[in-house]
Order: sequence, then structure tokens, then C-alpha cells
Amino acid sequence: MHRLFLNVFVIVIVAASASRSVFACLFHIHNFSSLSHLSPTSHLRSASPLLCCFYLGSPGSNLYCLYPGRIHFSPLHLEDYILQKFNVLSHRTSPHLHVVVSLVGLSADKKSEQPTLFSNGEPEYRFGPFSATRLARYVPETLIHALTELEAAFHSLASDEDFQRELSGILRDYVGRESPLYFAERLTEHYRRGNGEGPQVYLKREDLNHTGPHKINNAVSQALLAKRLGKKRVIAETGAGQHGVPTATVCARFGLQCVVYMGAQDMERQALNVFRMRLLGAEVREVHSGTATLKDATSEAIRDWVTNVETTHYILGSVAGPHPYPMIVREFHAVIGKETRKQALEKWGGKPDVLMACVGGGSNAMGLFDEFVDDNDARLIGVEAAGFGLESGKHAATLTKGEVGVLHGAMSYLLQDDDGQIIEPHSISAGLDYPGVGPEHSFLKDVGRAEYYSVTDEDALEEPSRDYHGWKE
Amino acid sequence: MMTCKLQLGGAFAFARSNHSVSIERSSLMVATDHQNKTNNNLLPSELAMATTCVPTIKPSLEKELRTTHPQETNNDIINSGKFGRFGGKFVPETLMVCLSQLEAEFNKAIHDETFKAELAEALRDFAGRETPLYYARRLSEHYKINNNGKGPDIYLKREDLNHGGSHKINNALAQAMIAKRMGRNTVVTATASGQHGIATAAACAKLGLDCTVFMALKEMEKECSNVKLMKLLGATVEGVNGSYKDAASEAFRSWVGDMEKSYHLSGSAVGPHPCPTMVREFQSVIGRETRKQALEKWGGKPDVLIACVGTGSNALGLFHEYLHDMDVRLIGVEAAGCGLDTGRHSSTLAAGDVGVYHGALTYLLQDQDGQILPPHSIAAGMEYPGVSPELSYLKESGRAEFSVATDQEALDAYERLCKLEGIFPSLEAAHALAILDNLVPTLSDGSKVIVNCSGCGDKDAALVFDRNLFHGKF
Repeated sequence: MHRLFLNVFVIVIVAASASRSVFACLFHIHNFSSLSHLSPTSHLRSASPLLCCFYLGSPGSNLYCLYPGRIHFSPLHLEDYILQKFNVLSHRTSPHLHVVVSLVGLSADKKSEQPTLFSNGEPEYRFGPFSATRLARYVPETLIHALTELEAAFHSLASDEDFQRELSGILRDYVGRESPLYFAERLTEHYRRGNGEGPQVYLKREDLNHTGPHKINNAVSQALLAKRLGKKRVIAETGAGQHGVPTATVCARFGLQCVVYMGAQDMERQALNVFRMRLLGAEVREVHSGTATLKDATSEAIRDWVTNVETTHYILGSVAGPHPYPMIVREFHAVIGKETRKQALEKWGGKPDVLMACVGGGSNAMGLFDEFVDDNDARLIGVEAAGFGLESGKHAATLTKGEVGVLHGAMSYLLQDDDGQIIEPHSISAGLDYPGVGPEHSFLKDVGRAEYYSVTDEDALEEPSRDYHGWKE
Repeated sequence: MMTCKLQLGGAFAFARSNHSVSIERSSLMVATDHQNKTNNNLLPSELAMATTCVPTIKPSLEKELRTTHPQETNNDIINSGKFGRFGGKFVPETLMVCLSQLEAEFNKAIHDETFKAELAEALRDFAGRETPLYYARRLSEHYKINNNGKGPDIYLKREDLNHGGSHKINNALAQAMIAKRMGRNTVVTATASGQHGIATAAACAKLGLDCTVFMALKEMEKECSNVKLMKLLGATVEGVNGSYKDAASEAFRSWVGDMEKSYHLSGSAVGPHPCPTMVREFQSVIGRETRKQALEKWGGKPDVLIACVGTGSNALGLFHEYLHDMDVRLIGVEAAGCGLDTGRHSSTLAAGDVGVYHGALTYLLQDQDGQILPPHSIAAGMEYPGVSPELSYLKESGRAEFSVATDQEALDAYERLCKLEGIFPSLEAAHALAILDNLVPTLSDGSKVIVNCSGCGDKDAALVFDRNLFHGKF
């Protein structure tokens, strides 16, 4: 048995939630013998240095520790170890100890895996401080079991041939995949510089999917998952109906009972989408609490789920929410990126240089980026909504202007005021109107893998101009 | 010689017989030769070879064609545009040259490998072909439940998934590419519900052509979201008093006024030759894909093909591939509006008479004086008083059957597909789905039925919503 090399610096930064004061302590582990009871797993090939982030603390506090080092242990074992070590500390800091383990660089061997519709094997906790293990989902206790069950079911389906075949058949015949990668010739010419140089612009045509937006990929896959779990009822939240209509669509297709929660204000603005959902047989329930918009609808949906968790599956629309949702939704949308890689190879025999996507909750962006996260020569650019402008306070630029907090079961960047209350976002585009963002995006921003910019309503509506405002060359 | 009712003033006449070819042009008299009975059973391809064609192509162009394509034996395309006795070119003299040029260009393009490759790529990457052949399990089971679990398997050809939301893009893209090849820089067209207008505007934006769309004012109000889309795509939308037929006439007039620079893009398989043939050729990609997909899915052919018939473009697109497969039933469904006996309908083949309209001899809705009767249907795309001459021929020869569905039946079918499959069919396509109720009990267990879901019904949700036609159900 080879020596386990562990050279670890653990930096614990503790911040009390009330005062937000920060103090750090260094904790250096270099005593292997105490670790000998932990066995290595073959899942982790740590040829590259791994960055582990631990998060310790209760919701609302900024307590996390950075843990760089080489590691041969499965994240869960290490987590148990740290729990033991920090036990004393935990009682002092908070009644709830939440430990988050995140390993970056694990997926170097992902490419050698069999291509499936979603990842195989060990769960990937790739979100840095913004992720959650089974211990750290920011949800009421009653939902923990459902989330665990969901995660287990999801992983078992990765190797289920029947499920994969059924899903790809539905994506092909019902949703209309694969969506084309279209060379936008006139757009490319428009942006060509004076000397004739310029990038070639391609559009991944997710608009051609059944029902229109990309959301159907996730809705259809989760509905199939719900059927596998034996659930007969599906609930969802929606802002403008972008997620509600595909959910109602797939429930009609699979014969599931469907309830969609929608803010009363949104229902007025989007009466036609409400009608479409009802036409598809779904029940659309009004939500009057709070500002009667998307975030309140989400809270109401979570409340419903707590009450009916035995019979109901909650189809979350984006890569936000408690684990395993960000992972599941990302995996179900990852077909976008997988197709793109294949089509790029066919079209120009290479990889894309830049990938761009709009970011509301972040599902379509994750779907496109996921495949290319490990390709460091592919730039990932997310674009959020700046609404009336970043200074106006009426925007939805979470990653640019937000701060870290917990919303809807996950820790991520979000738009909050000094008292930690959620700020109502604004965008002319209904699908970008979410005050939070997926935790994985928060992580990608923090580690610098992806760049995030924002665009105002006016710029989004304008005809394409040649002026680049503040772009890096 | 038989005189038929004149619908377009200033038409020309030509006399034909089986043995000699002669051309007589008169600005007032309209006459056509009634075909011999024996020819009625022949299909267009055989007919074209049996009859002597009137040389409607200018001699120089014809010579050019024959020298460039000496191997060409497919007379399907290079014909006089007659389907039995239907079709033809009943147009003013000024348009004859244009149509001949168009026909020549069309024939060249069809045989040009570069054009075909470009078109295939545009259809794949821009329009999103190929469209799936989707097994509608819950819809099939809905019918099987009442019949001991026995019944046909119903498939939907998902033309609603195309860019633009309907099958119209197949034709609009191809014709816009032809316009570009001809060096035209403006495209004019007419649209009923706006679907064809959107497809044309999109194709023109992609290719950098100017686009003018004529649309009836009352349709513009009904389908205002489609109008907005057309404008956003850069097209000019001109309102016309009346209905679609008036918009179509206006488009023709506009084209005649500027024939050198503009191109008239016909969206439907009506009009003078070569329009019906062109549109049918470009839409036949639907049928070709269907054949391939049917083979993949169940290793055979469909037993029944159903499509809605307004002018007939989507129906011909699906049927054309199977015209020679006599074991495949072809069923077209027209709009019976408020009912055939009310007079407010668009069932041209069921209740119409033969006449000449918009340049072709075909069935049409006309009164005793030969005046056009205003058609009605809840679905704008079905509201046309004429029909494709090729479909008129298929009806008369018995190759295809035609049925009708009322507004209410279409609405019920719309709702049924939403609830059972989560798909919004366009109200036009809903007519095709409506006849399943009566048809399915007559079909054997396990037979394969393919319904052409020719358009997406999102555009109709507002119409249904505004009209509150579901009587407060929602």
C-alpha cells in the first residue's frame, strides 16, 4: 500500500453572522498516522493538485475553509475526518455544522468515460464553497430524505440502459434534438473588422426545441425520472411561464398530474402562458405572498413539496436550489454542450474558442459550458441582465452586483440588501428575472474559469452595433 | 372545346389537341380542351409523357436546358404544368415571359448539385430539419381504450418544430435562394395567417433580400403577433382590404409592376405553372423524410397519410412521395367552417366547382355567375376559395380521398392533442387530427397512420383565448 501523501493547509475563516468580523486560524495537518484508518479510493486520481474547500457554518454566516493539497481520499471520508477534528469547534460556532467538500480537477479522466447522457460514478462536487453535501442542504429536515432519494435514483439511472435509450428517443422524437449549430453568416460579416478579420459566429439553435426554450431538455428528463420514482404528481414554479409551459407539456405527455406555482403579478402579465398551461391540463396556482413574483412562487413550491413529498416530484427549472438539483439540471442540459462539441468537430474540425450564454438561473449556460469546463482554451462567457443599468438598482446582475448568501436551498451569489432581504430583480426578459444564480456559476466566477458580464434592456433590444463596450480583446 | 368560367380578366387562351400543337392567343376568350377520358387515370408523370406539351418555354431557354441536361428523363418537372385537365397558366401576356424564366431557373436549380447541397445545409442548420416522426402513444391509446386495446398506431410528422413554426419554411427558403440566383433583390409575397410571411421574411433576412408581405387587414388584427414578428425580421407588411385572396391578387399586381427586380414567392401550391410544381417539389422533403423514418421505425410504409388542406402545400409535400404506392391511403381534410350547409366554409374540393382562379384551372368556391364566394374557417391558413390543381387532379382520379372538419371539431382536436401529448397543433393541423374520431374505428389493429402536424399552435392560443371559445372552461 503506497504511502498516502497528504500535505495540507487548512485555513479556517470564521465569521460570525451578526458582526461579520473575520478571523482566521491556520491548521496544518502533517501527521499521516492518524489518517491511516482512511482508505484510498480509486475514484480520485490526484495526478493534479486538488483544491478542496470546506464550508463550516450555518446559513447566513460566512464560514469556510480553504484546503489545498494532494488527496487520495474520497471526499466523504475526508469530510468525516474533518468533522471529528472540528467537532469541538463546531459546538462553539453554531448548532448546525455544515461541511462542504469540493474537489476541482477530478474530472480530468472524464473524457475516458463512456458517453452517457449524464455523468457516471462518484458524485462531482465541483462548486467550491457554494455546494452542499448530504449534510449541507439548506432545506427543512423533511426534505432531506427526498433529496437523498432523488440523488440515489439519479445516479442509478446513469448506468440504466433502458432509461438512457428511452430518454434519447424522447429527446429525438418529441423535443426534436439534435438542435443545429448554425453558422450566422450575415452576423459574422456584420462584426467583421475593417481589415477583414473577425470571429466566426455560430448559433446553437435551442430555439428550435419543442415549446421553444431549452428548458424542455430538463423538464422531459426530470418527468421521466419522476415516473421512475413512482411519483404521480409534479410541481413546478415559474416566472413568465418559460419553465411552466414545458413542465405542463411533459406532464401531459407522460400523464402526470401537474401543479404550477406562479406569482399573481406574473399571472397578470403573462395571461396567455397561464392559458396555455391550463390548456395542457396543468393547474396554475396563484401566489400572493411577498412580491407575488418568481421567488415567492419558488418558496411556495418548496412549501408544497414539504407537505407532499411522498407523492410529488418537484421539477426545479434551473441549476439553483438544494443539492442534487444543480447537478441534475446541469446534467440533463449537458446534452447541449455534448452536441456542440460533436458538431464543432464536424463543421471545422476543432473546438470553439468562445462560448457565450445568457444567465438567469444559469441552466442553459451550464448546459453549454459543462462539456468545455476542462478545456482551458475555451473561454466561457455568461451574460446577465443589467435591466435599467447596474447603478439604477433595477437589474438582475447577480454575479456582478450580488453577494454570497443562501436562497432556495443553496448558497450562491444573490441580490440582497444590508439586512439580507432579497432585492426584487428587474429585466425586460422574463427568463433572466431571478435574484439568485446557480451555485456552480458562482464557483466558476470565483475561480476565474468563466467571465460574467451584463447587458441593459436597451442594449439587448438594439440592432447589433459595432461598438464594443468594455470587452477584453 | 369547352368554355369554362372566367375568373381572371385578360386571360389568354390556348388550344390543344392530342395530335397537333398550336398556339392561339386571344385576350378575351378563354377556352380549354377537355381531356379524353382515357387520360384521367394516368398520373402526372405518365400524363406528361402521353400528351404533347405546349412549348411554354422560350425556344432559346429550352434548347439551353436540353443541351445542359441531355440525360434528363424526369419529365415530371419539365412539363406544361398540367395535372390531368387541371393546372395551366391562365395569366396576362406580361407574365408569360416571367413564368417561363422562372420555370427555366427552377429546372436548372433542381439539377444543380451546388444548389441542392446549399439548400440541404440551410434546411438542416437554419430550419432545423429533419423533423421527427413522433409516435403519439397517448393519442393512440385514447382510441384503443374504447376498442379492447385494438386500433391503429398514430404518428405525427412534426413540421411544427421547424424554424418559423410551420412547414412553410421549406419552400420559402428554397425559393428565396432561387430569387438570389436570379439576381433579384426584392421578394413579394402574400400570407394568410402569417406563417408563410414569417418564413419568407426569415429566409430573406438570412439571404439579405428585401421583403414585402401582403396581408389582409382583418388577418393582421387577428394575428398581430405574427405581424410584429415579420416586421422585426425586416419585412414591410402591407395591409389589403378583404381576405387572403385579395392579398394574393395584390401581390401578383405588385410583382407585375416591377418584374425585373422583384420575385414573387408563392407560398402555396396554387397559381400558374410553375408555382404549384415548385412548391410541391420543395415541400416533398417532408414525404422523403417520412419514408426513411417509417422504414427505420417499423421497417415498412405507412398505411394512411392524413394532412389538412387549405391550398394543399403541406398535403402535397407529404403525399407526393407515396403517389405511386397504391397501398398507401392519402386523406386530405378541408375546413367545413360552420358547416357545409351554412355556406360559411372553405371546403373547395367537397363543395366547389371547376374554374380558373389565380392562373390555374382547379376546383374553387364560386356562385352561379362565376364570382368567388368568400370562404370561412377559424383557421386562417385554410381560408382559401381555391385549391392546388394537383390535388384537384388527385381527387378526380380517385388517388386521394378528401374529408372535412368543422371549426368546433378542429378546436376539440386542438385541445385533445394538448392534453394527451403536450403538443399545440396549429388550428390548420388540428383539422387533420379532427377526422381521427371517425376514421380510427374503420382501421385495422396495428395499422400505421401518419398525421402531418404542419404547424405550431402557439399562434392560435391567443385567438382561442380572446374568443373564449372554450366557454369559460379556463
